[in-house]
Amino acid sequence: MQDVHAPRIETTRRHFFRDCRVGLGAIALGSLLNRDGGLLAATSNEQPTRSVVQAAHVPARARNVIFLFMAGGPSQLELFDPKPELQRLDGQVIPESYVKNKRFAFLKKDAKLLGTRRRFSRHGESGQQVSECLPHLAGISDEIAIVRSMATDVFNHGPAKFFMNTGFERLGRPSMGAWITYGIGSEAEDLPGFVVLQSGPRGPRGGSPNWGSGFLPTTFQGVPFNGKGPPILNLRSPEGINSNRQAEFIRAVNDLNRRHLVDTGDPEVATRIASYEMAFRMQSSAPELMDISQESQQTLDDYGADRSQPSFANNCLLARRLVERGVRFVQLYHTDWDHHGNQGTELEGSLDKICGEVDQPAAALIKDLKQRGMLDETLVIWGGEFGRTPQGEPRDYLGRDHHIEAFSMWMAGGGIQPGLTLGKTDDLGYYPVEDRVHVHDLQATVLHLLGLDHLKLTYRFQGRDFRLTDVGGHVVEKLMS
Amino acid sequence: MPRLLATLVLGLFCMSSVSVSAAVDGAPGYERDIRPLLARHCIACHGSEKQESGLRLDSPAGIRLGGDGGLVVPAEPTEVEDRSAADNGPSSSRLLRAVSREDDEISAMPPEGPGLSAQEQRLLTAWVAAGAPLPAPSEGGRRTSDHWSFQPLQPPALPAVADVAWLRNGIDHFVLARLERQAIRPSPEAARQTLIRRLSLDLCGIPPSRAEVEAFLADDRPAAYERLVERMLGSPAYGERWGRHWLDLARYADSNGYTRDFAREIWKYRDWVIAALNADLPFDRFTIEQFAGDLLPNATLDQRIATGFHRNTLINEEGGTDSEQFRVDAVADRVNTTGLVYLGLTLECARCHSHKYDPITQREYYQLFAFLNNCDEPKIDAPAPWQVADGVLERRDELRAKVKSLERELAGQEKEFTARQLAWEAKITPEFRATLPGPVQASLMLPLDKRDATQKQLVVELYKKSDDAREAFPLVAQIAALKAGEPTIPTTMVLARREEPRVTHVHRRGNFLDLGPRVTPDVPAVLPALPDGSEAPGRFELAKWLVDPANPLTPRVIVNRYWQRFFGTGIVATENDFGSQGEPPTHPFLLDWLAAEFVARDWSPKAIHRLIVTSATYRQASHARPELQDPANRLLARQSRLRLEAETVRDVALAASGLLSRRIGGPSVHPPQPEGVFAFTQDPKPWEPEPGDGPYRRGMYTFFWRSSPYPALMVFDAPNGNVTCTRRVRSNTPMQALTLANDEQFVTAARALADKLMTTGSADVNKTIELAFQTCLARHPSAFERDRVRELFESQQRSFAEDLEAAQEFSGLPRHDPATATAAAWTSVARVLMNLDEFITRE
Repeated sequence: MQDVHAPRIETTRRHFFRDCRVGLGAIALGSLLNRDGGLLAATSNEQPTRSVVQAAHVPARARNVIFLFMAGGPSQLELFDPKPELQRLDGQVIPESYVKNKRFAFLKKDAKLLGTRRRFSRHGESGQQVSECLPHLAGISDEIAIVRSMATDVFNHGPAKFFMNTGFERLGRPSMGAWITYGIGSEAEDLPGFVVLQSGPRGPRGGSPNWGSGFLPTTFQGVPFNGKGPPILNLRSPEGINSNRQAEFIRAVNDLNRRHLVDTGDPEVATRIASYEMAFRMQSSAPELMDISQESQQTLDDYGADRSQPSFANNCLLARRLVERGVRFVQLYHTDWDHHGNQGTELEGSLDKICGEVDQPAAALIKDLKQRGMLDETLVIWGGEFGRTPQGEPRDYLGRDHHIEAFSMWMAGGGIQPGLTLGKTDDLGYYPVEDRVHVHDLQATVLHLLGLDHLKLTYRFQGRDFRLTDVGGHVVEKLMS
Repeated sequence: MPRLLATLVLGLFCMSSVSVSAAVDGAPGYERDIRPLLARHCIACHGSEKQESGLRLDSPAGIRLGGDGGLVVPAEPTEVEDRSAADNGPSSSRLLRAVSREDDEISAMPPEGPGLSAQEQRLLTAWVAAGAPLPAPSEGGRRTSDHWSFQPLQPPALPAVADVAWLRNGIDHFVLARLERQAIRPSPEAARQTLIRRLSLDLCGIPPSRAEVEAFLADDRPAAYERLVERMLGSPAYGERWGRHWLDLARYADSNGYTRDFAREIWKYRDWVIAALNADLPFDRFTIEQFAGDLLPNATLDQRIATGFHRNTLINEEGGTDSEQFRVDAVADRVNTTGLVYLGLTLECARCHSHKYDPITQREYYQLFAFLNNCDEPKIDAPAPWQVADGVLERRDELRAKVKSLERELAGQEKEFTARQLAWEAKITPEFRATLPGPVQASLMLPLDKRDATQKQLVVELYKKSDDAREAFPLVAQIAALKAGEPTIPTTMVLARREEPRVTHVHRRGNFLDLGPRVTPDVPAVLPALPDGSEAPGRFELAKWLVDPANPLTPRVIVNRYWQRFFGTGIVATENDFGSQGEPPTHPFLLDWLAAEFVARDWSPKAIHRLIVTSATYRQASHARPELQDPANRLLARQSRLRLEAETVRDVALAASGLLSRRIGGPSVHPPQPEGVFAFTQDPKPWEPEPGDGPYRRGMYTFFWRSSPYPALMVFDAPNGNVTCTRRVRSNTPMQALTLANDEQFVTAARALADKLMTTGSADVNKTIELAFQTCLARHPSAFERDRVRELFESQQRSFAEDLEAAQEFSGLPRHDPATATAAAWTSVARVLMNLDEFITRE
């Protein structure tokens, strides 16, 4: 037995390292299954994985990403981009010059402008403007950078979400989290490198392709964790199999696999052995992760988290716990910001409700990360797939249509200039007039902050080198500290 | 062990010594070397969009013509000139001087960035020195190319080899000749039990039964292997296995995709594919029926069903979308799929601009688009033959006519109906309302005159279901009863002739709103022309052209993909890119020989499959040979170990357990899946396991929702069905371990296998372990394996004996049964074997 046993970790590591020469992806695969420092340290005198990539690209400013995806498209005009002129013109038909040759999901060309009913004021030393809808965020406005000049290409929910996540409007390309874990791996030993959490009344439109790995190996796809019950599909051992029996099971499988590794000489068997070891560790680490009762009452109160039911607040707290455990990319989806102006989708009570769900936890996350010294290396992004029109919709209540020309997002932490307001829109909030940031620019910037050059992080598929930013993207230097 | 370690370590630092480009040598070629180089560095400023200094470097004509500054490469000598008199030296080429960046007179190019590498400079210089050979501008309106895959197919002669005893058929000549050049011996033939499992998995996608293995091992007459091959090629499971491969290419799924992702009915197409492969329908017929079966004279229902191939595109049903945009996307997908599946060309690159690397212009893309832009897309009845014979269609039509007349009668009572309905609405309780679907609730909230037509209809339908409506209007109940009695006739999605043809234009920059010049259907000029006299060619002509023996790409691409299924990697590793950016073939003559055989054998897929599996090359053992430094096995000095495809992973578990249903075809099924699958989709999807053998059908029959596919399939890299998939990746992840170890379906299989072991096994534990290995792996255990499994069995038996409740839960047997702990322990054994790497691998 002993001779088969002893070298197993070595063999596994060597297999991974041997693959390193084929590119970044293999390094990342290795580090998913092996702590990155240990991966290379065990086999050579070279630097750990992160250094390998940094040498290839640019210095990293952040190690992890938490993307708070506000599904449905939050209204920037109610939250971040005050427009006195729009209020003055409230109820008038929008000038034709704005809407010539434009297409909307539902609006007609003669729609009337809608001034916001919300009050804005300046906050903190930076004097950032945030509306009354988000009082907690206003309280940390010196920590965040608000981008008022975001722009995207597509105006339907599904395609626009794919565009924000994968850089392309149709499904099937790798998502940002997949690209990043492919590029630099993950430091999580017992958890996947890319985790997705969800809250709100329903799942985001488009579903799993939003966190898919596209043509990259499935190793890099986002793994959805459920807020209720077992967090991962099939995480629980079968009925009647306790932890001891499961451990015995894994040992037997791997003993036999190790023998087969010797017989065949195929390193894939070594990877299989490592997969079973990590699966077994995940069976205990994932439930431990999800158990927020380990957190102090103070922390739970800060987030507004409630052990008894899943919520955006719980997910924000889980995001911090995931990043603490080395998970590279955490994405939180919260629905539904699609405020067209029907009952239940108006910019009145419905907006208040969703702001109430999101405001405190998001602000608490920033404060918590800062207090723990993690904010410097964690990039937090808040925003949706697009924004909403300056025109109102002719429905029963206040509402706006999808708007792709200009919308707002905010970012904080890892390399982001705190207290910054970037970009400016015209008097109606229709088009950016300064520092337009296209979705591909945002993606290029996120990669850059993680130490990756968006032009170099490519993958050959169907005869072409693909990248997250498709054929566009410029790093937004002004956003960085 | 130390030797293994040493060889692995050796592998660490050595790049593969198998140079793929060694297959082609000589002077740099325009398509292979020069065009990509110019595309990389030059055409952003000297291409179709910008022509700085009046120079275009994106076509041979432009390169010949030069720019404002004159010729960039030496002019070709005319016939009267003596070639030696022409100055072909590098110093005469403006192109070389510019890229050298060291010329005083000519600006350094490219002006920004790192410029050409030393290797690229050398290539360019060598090309110019050779006279800058460019493809002839045209021959009878056709473009010529020096790229290998565009050359006509000419069957090569079999190369001579030294070790003729090793040869089994033509394939082996090519493989062995290559090996002998490097003085490498092929691997020995795999053990018989390995061969039968390999063959069974490759041809039928299910493992051999124990009886089959025993019969094969006992068959010592000559040609036992060949007989086995024939039996498997004749098995109905062959059509399922190879049908699933084709469905990957066809992007088959059971729902419409995008965000709403409603269910669709097109399984009749899937069943047509299975039947076609089982019947060994020649590949040219197979293609023509799928592109244009409806256009054949006296088209049969089956031929119409076949056109579902190009109906597997996505349909967007999200509110507020532009339907033309998504229709255009679907047609583009048909063009792209045709390119990747048949031609091995990445046509999609030419949707927005002319292809940067391959000789396909944007105009040619839209000429191909035009072939496929002219069909209607109906849904048709696809009754089973017995339904036709039974007159079910007529019965259904009569019944519908009856319903229609009753509905007209009911409409005569509209006034009373509406009054009564409003009275009923007034009595609806909030509790009842809350149970209704969202849109119905919203409609109810509106006063009658504020409801649009759809909303009105929703409420009317709701009211018709009420007792009140049925009492007051007997017609309502009558109509409902008639409708409930309507026979179910399957439908399927097909292509149909469009009476008023659409006009196709170039879409500038791929934008369907920005129409460029009008185009008519035609094929790329670099490939053989359509036959003369094809006026107004359409889908039928396109299909005929794809499978014309003169087409150099289709037979090469198809046999290469067959090869890939049997060896893991194609002879051309980039199975969907036979263009200049793809890899050249490792065995170019073998590829051409196989392609020529395919055409010569009347495009019979089974003939090529038979040829491959009966070769000595295929029959080699798959043990690693690290000393060859060929980890990707491009030399074919052995077989490859291949992890099974997602559906097959499921099928081997069900087959080993004895649960597998062998029923072929029919509507897709919903085997049990873990809870929480729909937590992340926009709308939860219906998912109700069918009774009977529903949970035990082969993986390929699992209902496929594009937005939330069956997790146990996806975790093993099943394709997403959104675009064509010409090769699946083979990942190896912890999520796969969790699925095999814990998923209910796999635990069920382990229990069933344990049950089988206990009923057919003997009292001797070792003998039962033998049986378990034979059932799962088609071989005997080694002494180590037997002892290790026995150790597990005994330990689990002890553990369960002390915890009969757990034993009951795990084994599913009653707790008071004394055999429960034993059953649980055997279930553990079964579970271990079904989790082995070998179990889910074709060795």
